[in-house]
Amino acid sequence: MNKQINTRCVVTGLGLISAIGNTVDECWMNALAGKTGIDEVKSVNTADCYANLGAEVSCDNLDDLDEAKNVDRVSKLCLKASNEALKDAGLVIDETNAGRVGVIMGSCVGGVVSIENYIDNGEATEDINKMTIASIANHVANFAGAKGIITNVGNACAAGSISIAYACELIRAGVADAFIVGGADAFASVPFSGFLALHALSEQACSPFNHSNGITLGEGSGAIIVESYEHAAKRNAKIYCDVLSAGISSDAHHITAPRPDGLGQMYAIRTAIEKSGIEPKDISYVNAHGTGTAKNDEAEFLSLHTIFDETNDDLSVSSTKAMVGHCLGAAGAIEAVFAIKALTENKIPPTIGYSDEDKAVLAEKAGKIDFMPNEMKEKELNYVMSNSFAFGGSNASIIFSKKAGNVNETENDEKIYITGMGIVSTLGNGVDNYIAKINAGEQVSENSVSANVGKEDYDKYGIKMAFYRKLDKFSLMQVISGLEALESAGVSITDENAEELGMIIGTGDGPVTTVYEFQENISENGTIAGSAFNFPNTVYNAAGGYLSIKTGMRGYNVTVTNGSQSGMSSICYAYNEIRQNRAKFMLATGTDENSRVMDKLYGQLGLVTDEKKDAYSDGNGFVLADGSTTIALESESSAAAHDAKKYAEVVGYAMTHEVVPYGEIVGSDKGLMNAILDAVGMAEIGLDQVDAIYGFANGLKDIDDIEKNVYGELFGGNVPVHNVRDYVGEARAAASTLSVAHAALTLSGDLDKTQKAYYVTADSVKTDNVDTSEYKYVIATAYAMGGSYSAVVLKKAQ
Amino acid sequence: MNEKELEIAENIKGMLSKNLRIPEEELDFEVPLFGDGIGLDSVDSLEIISCIDSAYGVAMTGVAKEHFYNITSLTKYVVANM
Repeated sequence: MNKQINTRCVVTGLGLISAIGNTVDECWMNALAGKTGIDEVKSVNTADCYANLGAEVSCDNLDDLDEAKNVDRVSKLCLKASNEALKDAGLVIDETNAGRVGVIMGSCVGGVVSIENYIDNGEATEDINKMTIASIANHVANFAGAKGIITNVGNACAAGSISIAYACELIRAGVADAFIVGGADAFASVPFSGFLALHALSEQACSPFNHSNGITLGEGSGAIIVESYEHAAKRNAKIYCDVLSAGISSDAHHITAPRPDGLGQMYAIRTAIEKSGIEPKDISYVNAHGTGTAKNDEAEFLSLHTIFDETNDDLSVSSTKAMVGHCLGAAGAIEAVFAIKALTENKIPPTIGYSDEDKAVLAEKAGKIDFMPNEMKEKELNYVMSNSFAFGGSNASIIFSKKAGNVNETENDEKIYITGMGIVSTLGNGVDNYIAKINAGEQVSENSVSANVGKEDYDKYGIKMAFYRKLDKFSLMQVISGLEALESAGVSITDENAEELGMIIGTGDGPVTTVYEFQENISENGTIAGSAFNFPNTVYNAAGGYLSIKTGMRGYNVTVTNGSQSGMSSICYAYNEIRQNRAKFMLATGTDENSRVMDKLYGQLGLVTDEKKDAYSDGNGFVLADGSTTIALESESSAAAHDAKKYAEVVGYAMTHEVVPYGEIVGSDKGLMNAILDAVGMAEIGLDQVDAIYGFANGLKDIDDIEKNVYGELFGGNVPVHNVRDYVGEARAAASTLSVAHAALTLSGDLDKTQKAYYVTADSVKTDNVDTSEYKYVIATAYAMGGSYSAVVLKKAQ
Repeated sequence: MNEKELEIAENIKGMLSKNLRIPEEELDFEVPLFGDGIGLDSVDSLEIISCIDSAYGVAMTGVAKEHFYNITSLTKYVVANM
């Protein structure tokens, strides 16, 4: 049964920093005036490079906020925009509402400036925690005092748009009231060198839909306050507009190039229109992706003409990238702010850079669409769209409206089951192997261990050399575990169902190894020496992109990153996609890589143990490990349609946060407690019905103590705790997903019924072998450095 | 191939293996690199161009496709343009 979701999501605050201004007003005035922010690059050494233009931010007060003093430039930009948006919204976050206010930030390259700084300037320990995307949303949450759902979207150049869409989904799911969303990226050597190597940088300022001879990189951040209408109305907030709906899809085509037939883009755009309850003729303005590469512009021309030409006689399209450059993970957020300003002020910014001759050429290509060359125009706008397309074949389209709208969002009340899984771990690959090893009592014994992916896996899944050689280990592990999950769920991808199948990839550290090695090379050999081959793998959503290409899955495809718990929050996210009818079937994953680089970085942080110890034994470090776990989720009717095995039912989830200093191993008992209570609440069971916990202890005392305190307080030390990290090591996001997979394999009876468990309180630890055969409800928990927690409640399948 | 050509061909083979992660056992001097052979694509060709430029100072941007056909043809182009 589907029920209508009537929750309105509204925009109440905006923040912006880009090459054309340090506030929304500055950027907006300059955008309308067609002022370019593109100039010779200052922050990257462009010696010997064929291109040397960029759109860099010029701002002398990026460090003013206390939170911004010791963070990567990407977080400084994001904090600046977020602060402006919060002030604009007048949103006061205090103990009464903090748990219902979240932060979701998009980024492409995250703290890559700190990776460069680490390599070039003495390998300072303080740089290490600034390297990942994960830090961004945590810094904003800590600054704002937000304690709701905190995460980052790593979908490269579509990340900013997806962050807005995800926030609205969560508000409509009733698990949050308000979000600070957006995106940020800083100008850096890695993306400049990478796009240079791909010959994708334009020698002149980029010229979207015009000369289309490449992009000009930019930097900046856009931040938007999105709230439920009720929440905004209750506090008498100024409302800019409604966020109607969004479409998110995957090309399943190529890791860098868009599909020439525009199929993925058009699915995203059509989904956004359909879910928004409007028609193509209603859209008056599209802020296009409009990068200025030939492949993008051709595909986008095709998509826009195909969807709008027949019914829309009054469509304006512009690319503000002509002024602010391509700000990568910030682009979708910055452009959403421009689209919202356009909507609310009835003024459309232009695409600059057209000569009279160019205009004549454009007129032939444009048909009846007005591509706004050089001049802004005033026009009554009711519905506007912002489109973002990215590496990995990621597409996002989102619609903003002056009116409340008649959004076509529904909730599916069917049960949702785990129907398949795939495991790549330090104990070997494959679910059957995992079961055999666990039943035999095997576990890792060294202090830094890695999973292996190789010929046996390629042969098993028919992966040809032309495909697998492109992937780094991070992506390889993800593809193998994803393929096994699909196979075990018994799902075949066809043209008919490809758009109904999606995936949420969760990762703590993403492809940091590949980014680091890319930077090492250019630090040694110059910006000009970047590898075109390796650059596509520096984006966090490459793994999901490859899995989509290999399988043909063209539906929802998002990569989330906020520490180890990302491997469990991916399950929460995927569950919600099925619940809200955006997919029939979802993969939810956790993947993290160990390598020379990760071993060095975690070792320098002092987190890798000298000697393996069991959980809760007051150890001084963990076994650094890696792997990828994927679980398949689907609704009861979907599972029934292909007679899928039901490992377990997912009955509740929660994601929480407590403000702690980012990068320090300090946890919050309250954060974990809230995650458990909220998840159990969603499952509509009492704490006394929880038969077992699948925890996150990894042997590091400060982390293990969080569990001891909380499980002691909530469960009195009487509920058995199982820990997969005892077996496979601290595989971060992979271990978080594995906790859920292990719990499901226990509930399904695939694992031996007698299993080792701990009984813990703040000051006691007991171990015992327990009979798991009577477990009905279990809860899996996960933690991230930075204070975020997630929990998932599973029920034995009927 | 003469000694010099052999040395360059071996060097290109090593570069293809290292930089494009093509298993050495899949590579000989004659196997077609693109299409139904090894299956390289346009991004790989950028990497090849960059490596040959940096190793031999030979610019191959815009050079006709047939010179990229296999290791032998790449070698011949490098030798002729060094």
